[in-house]
Amino acid sequence: MPVTDTITYSIPVSLTDAYRGHKTIVRTHDASEITTKFSDAIPEGLCHIRLLSLDGDIEHLKNWAPGVPIDLAIREPRRELPLLYRYAPLLSAHPLRVSVPLVPGFGAVVRLAASLNFAVKVEGGQPDQALTGEMLQIVGYYLHRTTVTEPIEFFHSLFLSFYHRDPLTLWTIQEEDPSLVRYVTDSGEETMTGRLAERETNQGFSSFMQELQDEIATGKGECAGCGFLMNCLGYFKWPRREYPCNGIKALMGVMLDAAGELRRDVASFQPRSEGEPS
Amino acid sequence: MSDRVFSLILLPTLECNADCEYCFEHKSDHRLTLDQFAAILEKVAAYLESENIGTLSIYWQGGEVMTLPPEWFEHADDLILRRMEGTGKQVVNYLQSNMIGYTHRWNRVIAEMFGNSVGTSMDFPNLHRRLAGSGPREYERVWIRKVNEAREAGIQVGFIAIPNQGTLEMGAERFYSRIVDELGIGEFQINTPFPGGPSNQVKDGYPLDPDRLAGFLLDLAAAWMDRGYAAGVRVGPLDSLMNYFFTGHKDIPCIWRDNCVNEFVCIDPLGHVSQCDCWAASYPEYRFGNIFDSAALSEILRASEARRRLLERPGALIPREDCIDCDYLGICHGGCPVRAYTVHGNILAKDPYCRLYRGLFAGLEGIAAQRHRHRTGG
Repeated sequence: MPVTDTITYSIPVSLTDAYRGHKTIVRTHDASEITTKFSDAIPEGLCHIRLLSLDGDIEHLKNWAPGVPIDLAIREPRRELPLLYRYAPLLSAHPLRVSVPLVPGFGAVVRLAASLNFAVKVEGGQPDQALTGEMLQIVGYYLHRTTVTEPIEFFHSLFLSFYHRDPLTLWTIQEEDPSLVRYVTDSGEETMTGRLAERETNQGFSSFMQELQDEIATGKGECAGCGFLMNCLGYFKWPRREYPCNGIKALMGVMLDAAGELRRDVASFQPRSEGEPS
Repeated sequence: MSDRVFSLILLPTLECNADCEYCFEHKSDHRLTLDQFAAILEKVAAYLESENIGTLSIYWQGGEVMTLPPEWFEHADDLILRRMEGTGKQVVNYLQSNMIGYTHRWNRVIAEMFGNSVGTSMDFPNLHRRLAGSGPREYERVWIRKVNEAREAGIQVGFIAIPNQGTLEMGAERFYSRIVDELGIGEFQINTPFPGGPSNQVKDGYPLDPDRLAGFLLDLAAAWMDRGYAAGVRVGPLDSLMNYFFTGHKDIPCIWRDNCVNEFVCIDPLGHVSQCDCWAASYPEYRFGNIFDSAALSEILRASEARRRLLERPGALIPREDCIDCDYLGICHGGCPVRAYTVHGNILAKDPYCRLYRGLFAGLEGIAAQRHRHRTGG
């Protein structure tokens, strides 16, 4: 039966049987657990595999389940940077994405991952001033380098959102919207995902976003007059509400300007008429 | 069938009928027997099976392949066809020869085994390619005659040129005219020289000045774009780089891929397995093992310490060099390990032609952008 869930569950490989029939992201530290567990059939609804360690043996992934996407979760950018080369041969069998935390050195991982034709996702929020500078450099790299051919998130979806004037939120782009994604702990407890996982709340998963929106809309803080509110929805105000967003707003401004420039370029483009020499 | 491809650079002989001054190989009279070839084929076929690889590309090189008789290749082709029958695997053969030994006797096997195509090599001006006991001029005279004979027989001939000081002094415009207009060759490739193998006075001049060489290649690109690009003339690696900057499609030479170790190996007539022909005969310290002494190719590749060092090379050198901040990391990855090794004695150094590559990439990216603007009226 086709999986029709709107919710995706991030689960440890040990709980795959309990979540059959649901959309899942299956995570593991050891790739061989995946190839052993799913040696016969890939569960319907499997969105991708999330590898939590880049150190293990990956030879058996080369010929396992072609087409199943793999997300490589980086924890220590400087140490794990060289390991990305080991995964490049898997690209012929699997779409690959590198998820890198927003910590010093993340930019080098983004550059190398993009150079290897991996998609990238930058995870986390509330960067300090130095990190915001590194983010601005990477935004420039994403926007202007002709050698970048794969999405670098969240920049890519945010840029498209600005370009199409479609208010996609960062919570959705970053796969942290609790109405869409749930994290299931190793002991089977369902929690919110990403940075919200530690949150102690009595709120329902689905109402979280609405309540956050209401709180921000009625507040008198920085978000109240922010032009990026529809896309951000307080993403960078989590967990510290007093986090100053000037660096983030500058970054989003660069992307907004680039989207506007592209929109104007496309609008002014006149295709050559037939027969005109190229 | 799996769409994975494995490439084998096979050196059936290390014997050569030329005596080129910059050759990186230790030549010898070793030849592969057909029985030995069958043994290699068996282990390579087993490797394809174990790795679920659908296509084997065999690059037949030497030494000089045409010091073997054409009948040897016909038998080898029979062995390949028989071994691969019913496996669902595809084998594609490529021939690289200096063409000095070419006669019409080669026509049949070139047509049937190599798709009527041969890759050869020549430099302009020819300063260093020579036959034993004679000079470069005689070599060039024989080469042109043989290439013309092959082309008259309908064989498609592409070639590799290695630039030298004379090439830089000659200039790109004259170089292009000599090849395309005077010799009528529509497909050629430029490779950079490096001091592989035993040293001598010629190799002491390598690497060539990267800035002059970059200037030459960009001038060559301009001549090619003006006069040959639209007419279908192919100039490697300028064509693949231009295609990359136009379309993002990365079909670039081995020296710039993320790691050549993932893509091919070389086997010489003594059975030594190494990374490529540049390593095979001159650098025994970088051999992976011997295919005749091992039960399986996969075992050699898995166990080799030299291969492990090469596999780890780009990941190890990127953080210690300035590559991570380079705009062209995605089409270079620190460049060629054998060029680094022969110049710096260390594979963990970046390619000595780094400055050439950066200049070339930036220049071609600029040309591509200019043509995009022209085509879109921007």
